[in-house]
Amino acid sequence: MVRSASKSELLPGTLEMLILQTLTRGAMHGYGIAQHIQEISDDVLQVEEGSLYPALQRLLVKGWVKSEWGTSANNRRARYYTLTSAGKKQLDVEAGNFERMVHAIARVMQTT
Amino acid sequence: MSRMGELWRKTVFLVRRRQMERELAEEMRDHLERKAAKNSMAGMSDVEAGYAARRQLGNLALQQERSRANWGFTALESLAQDVRYGLRGLRKSPGFTGVAILTLTLGIGASTAIFGIVNAVVLRPLPYKDANRLMYVWTISPYFPQYHMGQSKPNIDDIQKQNRSFKTLAIYQSVKLTLTGSDEPVPVSAAAVSADFLNVFAIQPEVGRGFVPGDDEGKNHNVVLLSHRLWQSRFGGNPHIVGQTLILNDKPYSVAGVLPATFSFPDKTEAWVPLIISENDRLHRRNWKFYAIGRLADGAAVRTAQAEMDKIAGQLSREFPQENDNIQLLVMPVRDGLVNQAAKSQLWILVGAVSFLLLIGCANVSNLILSRGVQRRREIALRAALGASGGRILRQLLVESLLLALLGGLGGLLLAGAGIMAFRSLAPGNFARLDEVHLEPAVAFMALLVSTLAGLLSGLAPALHTAHSDVNMALKDHAASFTPRRLWLRTFLVSSEVALALVLLTGSALMVQSFSRLMKVDTGFRTDHLLTARVAPLASRYPSSGARHLFVAHLLEALRGEPQFHGAAISEYPLLNGDPSLIGLEPGYLGANVKGITLEAQMVSPGFFETLGIPVLSGRSFNDRDTEGSPPVIMINNAMARRFFPGQDPVGKVVKLMTPKDHYLIVGVAGDVRDVHLREAAWLEVYFPLLQVPYSSLRVMVRSAAEPLALSKLLQQCVWSIDKGQPLTDLSSMDASIAELVAEPRFRTWLLSAFAVAGLALTLIGIYGVISYSVNQRTHEMGIRIALGAQHADVLRLVLQQGIRLALLGAAIGVAGSLGLMRLLTSQLYEIKPGDPLTLTGAALLMLVVALSASYIPARRATRVDPIEALRHE
Repeated sequence: MVRSASKSELLPGTLEMLILQTLTRGAMHGYGIAQHIQEISDDVLQVEEGSLYPALQRLLVKGWVKSEWGTSANNRRARYYTLTSAGKKQLDVEAGNFERMVHAIARVMQTT
Repeated sequence: MSRMGELWRKTVFLVRRRQMERELAEEMRDHLERKAAKNSMAGMSDVEAGYAARRQLGNLALQQERSRANWGFTALESLAQDVRYGLRGLRKSPGFTGVAILTLTLGIGASTAIFGIVNAVVLRPLPYKDANRLMYVWTISPYFPQYHMGQSKPNIDDIQKQNRSFKTLAIYQSVKLTLTGSDEPVPVSAAAVSADFLNVFAIQPEVGRGFVPGDDEGKNHNVVLLSHRLWQSRFGGNPHIVGQTLILNDKPYSVAGVLPATFSFPDKTEAWVPLIISENDRLHRRNWKFYAIGRLADGAAVRTAQAEMDKIAGQLSREFPQENDNIQLLVMPVRDGLVNQAAKSQLWILVGAVSFLLLIGCANVSNLILSRGVQRRREIALRAALGASGGRILRQLLVESLLLALLGGLGGLLLAGAGIMAFRSLAPGNFARLDEVHLEPAVAFMALLVSTLAGLLSGLAPALHTAHSDVNMALKDHAASFTPRRLWLRTFLVSSEVALALVLLTGSALMVQSFSRLMKVDTGFRTDHLLTARVAPLASRYPSSGARHLFVAHLLEALRGEPQFHGAAISEYPLLNGDPSLIGLEPGYLGANVKGITLEAQMVSPGFFETLGIPVLSGRSFNDRDTEGSPPVIMINNAMARRFFPGQDPVGKVVKLMTPKDHYLIVGVAGDVRDVHLREAAWLEVYFPLLQVPYSSLRVMVRSAAEPLALSKLLQQCVWSIDKGQPLTDLSSMDASIAELVAEPRFRTWLLSAFAVAGLALTLIGIYGVISYSVNQRTHEMGIRIALGAQHADVLRLVLQQGIRLALLGAAIGVAGSLGLMRLLTSQLYEIKPGDPLTLTGAALLMLVVALSASYIPARRATRVDPIEALRHE
């Protein structure tokens, strides 16, 4: 049986948060989002790039991003995603939860 | 609000699906190209760059599917997909599908039919308002504790005065009326009821009025209430029926109203008249002839009512020690009275038996599904390799089993419908609440429920087993990957089948033996060639006892004068009716320690004992001279003689009984007769000469040379020669009446045997399936054995042994189960013990024979394995 574990080391659910955060910088297509996450995290976060797309579709359905087809830099047709206002609110919520969780873990680790 | 938006978007994406797929594919392709370009720039060759890019993106097909999952409603869609796929698969293997559906149809159909019957008879409440608050109040005499007797008028009056648990109490009696006026006299089943009767049931008439106080005192204006059915059938639903006069038993009755169609209490009553109580019944506290029924007061529970009745019973017993000596008053819910404990346990036994049959069927289908799963292992392994999760595959397999089961359930519903209709026509007429058993939505719902259960039951184990098979091995199509070790599930299934079938077999064998023993019971009289009929001379036409005795005498003469009748007899009560008539024996007369005893009483004409072939063991039987004017005489039966006159001859002794005349001379002793129930030994019985005592109705019995019913017309003419207006009812032959008595146990025994045979057949198929499968898997092994010198006999023995071992395991469990479960049948068995060793051994042996025969054909097949072919195919 093939196990359905993705190759990335991400905690589950954080991929969507990362995508939303990335899109605060402006509209981007899927490849661009993947590149951005990899670069900014100094190659620590290895996202299995294919898993971006189901996540993006989910964000679309939830109404947190919207998409548009446009032309990219080198005249190729690409689909650009932008953050919606609902998405911004969701990002705040998720970022807050993440912070709390990280702090909690840190506190536990500090007690020697 | 966001949920609405989400739902909307999901729907939109579902509709625009193709476009979305295209766009997504384009997107992902684009991403792939960019990645490859980047890799090329980083220095890889074009080919390598492409591969690297693919690796980095991961399983595109899976990701596409995951993306698609967000469009539309996945759960339902994938379910629909499973169903479509499953149906296609079933269509492609018609053999498997056919056998599986047939087995399921049989199991589900039979179970649903039985459950439907049980629901209607046992579980559903009676069709009256708050039916669970309706209670019988029975009298129980310590001398006949198993019989529920009615109430006497003085007793019920006291009960009514002293109790507070009942809101309303009423009494009633079944009467048989004759409706005259049109061409032929028509018998009408009726009930004479007290004024509050309808209030107990809270029933309103649908036409006219009910009974009002004063109806039971009406000497001129008798009123009658008709049943809906009688109103429709006999009077065409005449809307002006109220006020019309009917002649019932030669008396005019004015129709006061019609009761609704749902009401028919007591069972099958067509008319209700006011109960008029005779002087005799008003005086005698021991004439427990009226059935009492009441509605509990609001807030009273059965327990409190019973406690109160116990107190009242004690009081009555103390105040009237002679008549009410140690009686008990039993409060019993009417539902339990209509469907007594015996009938309920019989039905539950059938439920158990049919459930076993269903389980056996499911086990067979389970094995079938397992085999099919093995055939499909490559397909399933492929799906797993492509990314399907274990749960997804499991779900699909379960959906297929459920599909099978639902299809089988459809067939089963049809079968159940046919079964219920057959039941209604074949079941004995006195089966409780038979009228309420019919095909209805509850039955369909039950079929659905049973199908779902069957599907899950059959499909779960094979699905779990198949879904977790090793992918690599399966894809390699390695025959030896399925070693005999894997047979454990099948062995378990088949062994359980054997065990269940054995229990069914044992049960039915016990019932069959019990029934045949019941049929061979010696009733004590000759039942063959005996024509019986009921004659009820009306009090209006024969008012004096002299006139009534004259009627009997003349009738007897006419019957004797008819050469085709080889013997004639008249009695008051029918034989083998199940309903004894009882009188009391004066305490203390026959000995100091003899307390008040209740005896069975029968009134008979001269010629009774001779005609019925009952031996007269001592003294004489009645003759024409035992009439009203002569000294009162009686005959007693052998049981009474042994009990009260051990070692002496009772003839010539005088006995005192609790009837109007005090002392009776015993003139003869008759042989014991089982005339209450076939299963019961003879009661203590006393016979009175019909010409000396009053009677209400008569049973005429004549012996014929040939078929009794052929002489019905002749008998009618004899009666008409005495009185032209006298109808003859209940014409029957004694053998036919007895057959009717045993119709119910016969029916049940037949049903149980049918289940046992079906179970055996299914088990045979099941064993055949497993052994056949095993032989197929072991072809390789057989080839080696034969190549190494094994003879036909050796191979045969090998396979047969496997079959026997299967059966032995199952049989051992089955025997243990039988010993435990058959105890539940004890109440149904006549003269055979539930643990009867002969029956158990016979059943186990039969099971082994079945296993042998089922294994035989695969065994033959094993001997014909060509070793070279077998060794070649790895």
